[in-house]
Amino acid sequence: MRIPPKYTQILAVTILGAATVFTVAVLVFIIVFVLSKGLPGINWEFLFSAPKDMGRAGGIFPTLVGTVLLPLMAIAIALPLGVGTAVYLTEYTRETRLTQVLRFGTDCLAGIPSILFGLFGFIFFVVMLKMGWCLLSGGLTLAIMVLPTIIRTSEEAIRAVPNSYREVSFSLGATRWETVLKVVLPNALPGIVTGVMLGIGRSIGETAAVIFTAGSALRMPASAFDSVRTMSVHFYILAREGISNEKAYATAAVLIISVLAVNLAAYGMMHRFIAKRSR
Amino acid sequence: MTPKLPIKIAAHDFRVFHGQEESLRGITLNIPANRILGVIGPSGSGKTTFLRALNRLNDLAPETRINGQVLLDEQDIYAPSFNVVTLRKRVGMLFALPVALPMSIFENVVYGPRLSGVRNRKRLEEIVETSLKAAFLWDEVKDRLMMSGLRLSGGQQQRLCLARVLAMEELEVILLDEPCSGLDPISTAKIEEALTILKAKYTIILVTNNTKQAARVADETAFFLMGDLVEHGPTEKIFTVPDDQRTNDYVTGRFG
Repeated sequence: MRIPPKYTQILAVTILGAATVFTVAVLVFIIVFVLSKGLPGINWEFLFSAPKDMGRAGGIFPTLVGTVLLPLMAIAIALPLGVGTAVYLTEYTRETRLTQVLRFGTDCLAGIPSILFGLFGFIFFVVMLKMGWCLLSGGLTLAIMVLPTIIRTSEEAIRAVPNSYREVSFSLGATRWETVLKVVLPNALPGIVTGVMLGIGRSIGETAAVIFTAGSALRMPASAFDSVRTMSVHFYILAREGISNEKAYATAAVLIISVLAVNLAAYGMMHRFIAKRSR
Repeated sequence: MTPKLPIKIAAHDFRVFHGQEESLRGITLNIPANRILGVIGPSGSGKTTFLRALNRLNDLAPETRINGQVLLDEQDIYAPSFNVVTLRKRVGMLFALPVALPMSIFENVVYGPRLSGVRNRKRLEEIVETSLKAAFLWDEVKDRLMMSGLRLSGGQQQRLCLARVLAMEELEVILLDEPCSGLDPISTAKIEEALTILKAKYTIILVTNNTKQAARVADETAFFLMGDLVEHGPTEKIFTVPDDQRTNDYVTGRFG
């Protein structure tokens, strides 16, 4: 039996629409749920004072600092390495078996569970290099973890820059490096920023790899060699050890709002950049 | 006969291979300075390959090999000691499709000069004005130089590309690859007018699918067919009494 196109059309729209509504509804539910439970617990004191009694009372300031510093360090390490690799793979090498293997390897790395990166970071940075649980160990581990994402998104973004732009640049006497700097990277920037955002998101949300490498000390870090606790880890410990549900939800709410703020800021910056170039 | 002019570019038995295929089969051609050479021929005849060989843009394709010589002012441009960046500053190229870079009109024009190290703002502004004037675009854009080049029309973009080439202070030769194929008659006329003025200062090589365009602006015309140079001579001769039957068939529109 053949269904008339008119009805398949209606059916398709209904199914696709329902899928969208369902997805968005789940997301909205989680966010509303966490915010409604957490927002009442948030005030200036909660944000900017030290925790007391293992987090049962007081605020989350050190974990807030940890959540800012750790992803920042990870991105500071991963961004130049990742973009550099992507530029090298796309602009400086021809497509060979080796680049295909490299690309396949990167894709595999991107899918590895984060706890394995945590284990590696623990064995290599914390134990072998005797760095201990610290901001630097955690930052390096997270950098390795987000590197594949940054490499692949940057690579796609660089590939999407029209070849005619490169040709024009070369024809005007630019070297390959000048072409990369003046034409390729500026035009690939929105895509690279997307990769960085994904990386920051993953780093902020990461728990397992962070406990293994940065530890979970509830103090203010004084240097890169001090242990830190991020909000995700704090939330995990509060909830898991049953220390305080109320504080756990409040921390989660702050976490969601920070991720949202980071994304909004990045989009804002990107739009201003694009607007400036195409005015 | 026109007085004997110095030779700007000379190709000697020049061959280009794309993989196994020989795209240019031994071209020997002397191109005089301060003239417009029209290059005509059906598509696939090697015109564009020849043009791109003159500023070594073919280098970018991995499968391309060359054989023979191309001399610019008697220097072999494929010699290992010849600096390809310098070559491309001396030999500018205008592509079939206008490609304005996604930056302001101003920045598009000064792309070359900035690479050559011109920093002085006033000097850059002078370059922009003279180049845009020479490309007959100045009057249309002088009040909005900071606007993105992408917002210009196709015809304006092609003139912007011409201005960008002219802005290079080292420029001696202009290569044009069917620069008017996608343009309206008015933009085409403006580019043709610009070329006839520019030949006083530069050597111009114009690849065109439009034989009428070659007849209108070229001083000399070369006819390419299947990778061979069939005939080369003064434009009036090529279009009236060519030596080769195939040239005659092509310019009279019997094939192509």
